[in-house]
Amino acid sequence: MLEVQGLTRRFGDRTVLDEVSFSVPADGMTGFVGANGAGKTTTMRIIMGVLKSHSGSVYFNGTQITNTDRARFGYMPEERGLYPKQQVLDQLQYLGQLHGMSRTDARTEALDLLDRFGIADRTKDKLESLSLGNQQRVQVAASLMHHPTALVLDEPFSGLDPLAVDSMTKLLAERAATGVPILFSSHQLDLIDTLCDNLVVLAGGKIVASGSAAELRARASAKHVVVTPPDAGWLREQPGVRVLDVAGPRALVEFTDDATAQRVLRTAVDRGAVTEFAPQRPSLAEIYREVIR
Amino acid sequence: MSITDHRTRPTDAPVRSASSGQPSAPWLIVTLREVTVKVRDKSFLITTLVTLALIVGSVVFAGIMGDKTTTATIAFEQNGRTAALMASANELALANDRKVELVSHPVPSGTAVLEALRAKDVDLVLAPTPDGYSLTALKEVPGSVQSLLGDAASAQALEFNAGKLGVSPESLTAGSTVSPVLLDGDSERNSMAMVMGFIFSFLFYMSAMIFGMPIANSVVEEKQNRVVEILATAIPIRQLLAGKILGNMILAMGQLCLFTGIGLLALNMMPTPVPFVSVVFATAGWFLAFFLAGFLILAAVWAALGAMASRTEDLQQSTGPVIMVLVAVLFTGIYAKGTLLVVASYVPVISSVAMPIRLLSSDVPLWEPFASLAVAVAAAWAMVLFGEKIYRRAIMQTGSALSWRKALKLED
Repeated sequence: MLEVQGLTRRFGDRTVLDEVSFSVPADGMTGFVGANGAGKTTTMRIIMGVLKSHSGSVYFNGTQITNTDRARFGYMPEERGLYPKQQVLDQLQYLGQLHGMSRTDARTEALDLLDRFGIADRTKDKLESLSLGNQQRVQVAASLMHHPTALVLDEPFSGLDPLAVDSMTKLLAERAATGVPILFSSHQLDLIDTLCDNLVVLAGGKIVASGSAAELRARASAKHVVVTPPDAGWLREQPGVRVLDVAGPRALVEFTDDATAQRVLRTAVDRGAVTEFAPQRPSLAEIYREVIR
Repeated sequence: MSITDHRTRPTDAPVRSASSGQPSAPWLIVTLREVTVKVRDKSFLITTLVTLALIVGSVVFAGIMGDKTTTATIAFEQNGRTAALMASANELALANDRKVELVSHPVPSGTAVLEALRAKDVDLVLAPTPDGYSLTALKEVPGSVQSLLGDAASAQALEFNAGKLGVSPESLTAGSTVSPVLLDGDSERNSMAMVMGFIFSFLFYMSAMIFGMPIANSVVEEKQNRVVEILATAIPIRQLLAGKILGNMILAMGQLCLFTGIGLLALNMMPTPVPFVSVVFATAGWFLAFFLAGFLILAAVWAALGAMASRTEDLQQSTGPVIMVLVAVLFTGIYAKGTLLVVASYVPVISSVAMPIRLLSSDVPLWEPFASLAVAVAAAWAMVLFGEKIYRRAIMQTGSALSWRKALKLED
């Protein structure tokens, strides 16, 4: 597990990160969202030791992180570009070697990854001759080369076509399944929704929400859809129920607590037919929009 | 920090065999990459081969030109005077190593000699005239042949006229010699030092540009596209810099050794012995040692400049002063004399060419090059530490290019 505690960083007089704390559990993928300039990249750079924090610490598996830990991490910085004028395979091999792999291991692994991304035929090409999407694939491959013990990926999906997103999420999910904590930032909320097991929301340098997707969804205001033909208007008179919308038999309501929900359900059944009584699961995108409001 | 440090090995994350953390000698991997990337670079290979060809070519050309004998077949009507001139001209050529050989083609009197010339049976036609001789050619009379025959003819005339006057030919030319007297050293050695000084200065300038500038470029390239962030999380940043400088230094030294080695070899294989070859050999050794120290200083500066720039374009401005120093080195090598040269031979970087030039042009006590080299090595060490400090602090900075003052103020 990767944890940050009380990270604060200023650039001049501007506080970019203010007491940021969250954790990236080892089971699954953690999405890191926030508007531009919220401090995502700064946080990731501090985790990777590229930037120093003015206070706060980063922990890996319970101990303060060391450079040896970081050397085993996979990192994808914000602005891309490995060596534009060097062959794809050569530079992956070089990065693998710098991470302590042997030449042959690095080569094998690079070929394997490129094959999985469907660009095995471009290994001898210069990076700059590849399309942006393919360059992005190589960049991700570079961060996965040495079978990292944790992954910190800044916008790994930007610029990828849907098929590439699929193959990459599959690969990342595999790595996550082996217990590798993965932190990735993204602006694609739909992707976050389908992909993330955990979510960290940053706004103006502060954490506004963090936790597992299930927790966050549960914590988000619990709305229910209730359909009781012929008319759902009776719900308005029930105590502990806030009716948000009624359209004939269909109502969107908010219960103050679970007990109220159960009581209302019994009443509804007593009154007649109940064709639908379902909690409305908010998407993480909705949660995000709500918390940063 | 070593790969056996498993204190923080994650317990909940299986580590595949592929990653063992940091390699044992990261700088070596960086060095090897720098070298292989450059050696595979076509333009680098072509420049090296062309320069090599030029060095060998110019030495060989000078050798051939110095050694070439001009042969000319000359037709003349058989009479005593012209045949005698031909014979004495060949003797003169042999005696003075004039590298001209005249082949006689005597023809009976009255024969149309000009026909033989037109038929290209002969190269030239020599005929007596009232005031000497005429030398006829189709288009061009070779200068060496004309001057040889001219010298022979004036000797012949001198002897003939002296005989008529009843005096010795020597008495007629007495008092007409002008011989040079040198107060200040050996002219041959001075001109040799001048030429070698030019070559050393040029080699230094060229190597510093070919291998120094790429250090700055590759540093800013890595900074610009953030590869350095990946590299810096994988290996200590000092190792990255060390590998980079070392790689380019190996390349520069390799190329320089190749150039000087081949040049000296060609020089040594010349048919006529070159004066001061032993001095040149000894100084070439010193030059390589001084080059190493000078290059190290420049490499540290290049690396710092690369780290302070934010885009490749920024380098065009910031590298100006370094290039000025290089040009100063170049001109010192060519023009400095006397006290100025002695002072220059102790100033690091400039000493890389100034001291070898002093060694070439005069006999310098042995302690002097050692002392100067010690100064240069100390300066190199200080400069590398300073450059590393700037590099380490500036390389992770994003945003606009940094000035020296700003870079020094950065936090670690």
